[in-house]
Amino acid sequence: MRYMNFTQTITVRSEHPEELVKLLDDWDRNQASADIMGYIGTHLLADREDPGSYLIVAEFAVVDPDVSAVDEAARNNDRPETQEWARKLLEVIDGDPAYHHYDELYRTG
Amino acid sequence: MAGDTPEHVLLVSRGMATAVAPDDGITHVQAELLHAITLALTGEDVNYLELEPLGSDELADVLRERDQTYRQRIVHHMVLGELVLRPLPLEVSRRVEVYATAIGVEDRFVRVARRYAMGAYGLAWKDLQRSGFTEHWEQADRSALRATVDVSGPFEGGGADPELEAKWEAFRELPEGSLGRSVWQMYDGRGFALPGSAHGPSPYLAQHDFVHVIADYGTNLKGEVEVFAFLGRADPDPKGFAWLATLIGLFETGYIEDTGFFERDVREHNVRAPGMSTRLADAIARGKAVCEYYETDLFEVDYHELAPRAVEEVREMLGVVPKSAEALASDSPGIFDRAGMSELQRRIADARAGGEA
Repeated sequence: MRYMNFTQTITVRSEHPEELVKLLDDWDRNQASADIMGYIGTHLLADREDPGSYLIVAEFAVVDPDVSAVDEAARNNDRPETQEWARKLLEVIDGDPAYHHYDELYRTG
Repeated sequence: MAGDTPEHVLLVSRGMATAVAPDDGITHVQAELLHAITLALTGEDVNYLELEPLGSDELADVLRERDQTYRQRIVHHMVLGELVLRPLPLEVSRRVEVYATAIGVEDRFVRVARRYAMGAYGLAWKDLQRSGFTEHWEQADRSALRATVDVSGPFEGGGADPELEAKWEAFRELPEGSLGRSVWQMYDGRGFALPGSAHGPSPYLAQHDFVHVIADYGTNLKGEVEVFAFLGRADPDPKGFAWLATLIGLFETGYIEDTGFFERDVREHNVRAPGMSTRLADAIARGKAVCEYYETDLFEVDYHELAPRAVEEVREMLGVVPKSAEALASDSPGIFDRAGMSELQRRIADARAGGEA
């Protein structure tokens, strides 16, 4: 059975993409040695038409069939380390991040 | 599992089969692999396709008197049964965790499999790296590697190290049949760059090349699966399972893309290939024999010290037993057999031998 994933996007402006990469890499390293959560990985994309604009795409999946991926993401959002990460994000971006939330309808393979 | 009663083996097999079976039943790949492992380790011929289910609590009862190490190895067999599945159903990974918990085992490789099932492949590889390699590397005595430049990680080449390269080159002068001369012949015959040279492998990873010679396994992908199954099980620390988990991810299911020492290659499934279950199981059984006899991670052995000795003598010292008749019948090639080389390695070997096909 295939469960529906959930994606959160965060659009930011930054002059320090290397800091964004480091922030995400540190997050992943910590997640890899932690208990299983719904978080499964991130993409960081640079906008070719709008230099300085970046899109962070964070994916969440089902861990327990009784808990949806969106609920896993909500649990993740409530964790102190997530709040701390969001605080650090503000230090390396200009202005406020724009958050959007998506349910996955289709995926290749 | 050796010395266990047939009844005990059957019960454990039923538990493992129940844990790893997808909803529509255990797959042929899983059944063949677990059958081969059970046969190699216990001598019992169990048909995994026709077993009655056994619940996690019942399995816990069966294993109640067994020590932690034994139970953890059973969990690793279950994880192995999961890792050959792609996709790996979430339900299977959860069930294996339930069984592991029931028998009192908290194991990081169960967690890795759960990440695969979720589609968290990148995190799974980071987890596997950390659990199997990085943490150990940080604590390991690395003097046996003989590197003279700083090597930052288990799979980092560390750049050119002329002194180390010279030590490996000097193996050429050792007597025919010695460990050092044999490993040099393996490198030279296949055109491999020596450790310490600009394009050479990491000195840590090069340790496994001595084991290719000692355990007599080829250097194509199937030979790599065999040698790492052997090495992993020879390690008294269960972390050794990371090697086999990694090789299956690289060369069978493709869950792992690039390790820094091998890249994913699933043009052919290297575990479900004919005879490979038997070969892999025999490698595990031979590794287990070394584990019980020598009680040392083979990555920590000072092979440079042993290099002048005859290969046979080193085998005896480590407690390496011959390949089983079943593995030989399944065409497990030796280190210098052409069948144990990749196509590219064969071409290089032919060119070096003067162009004979």
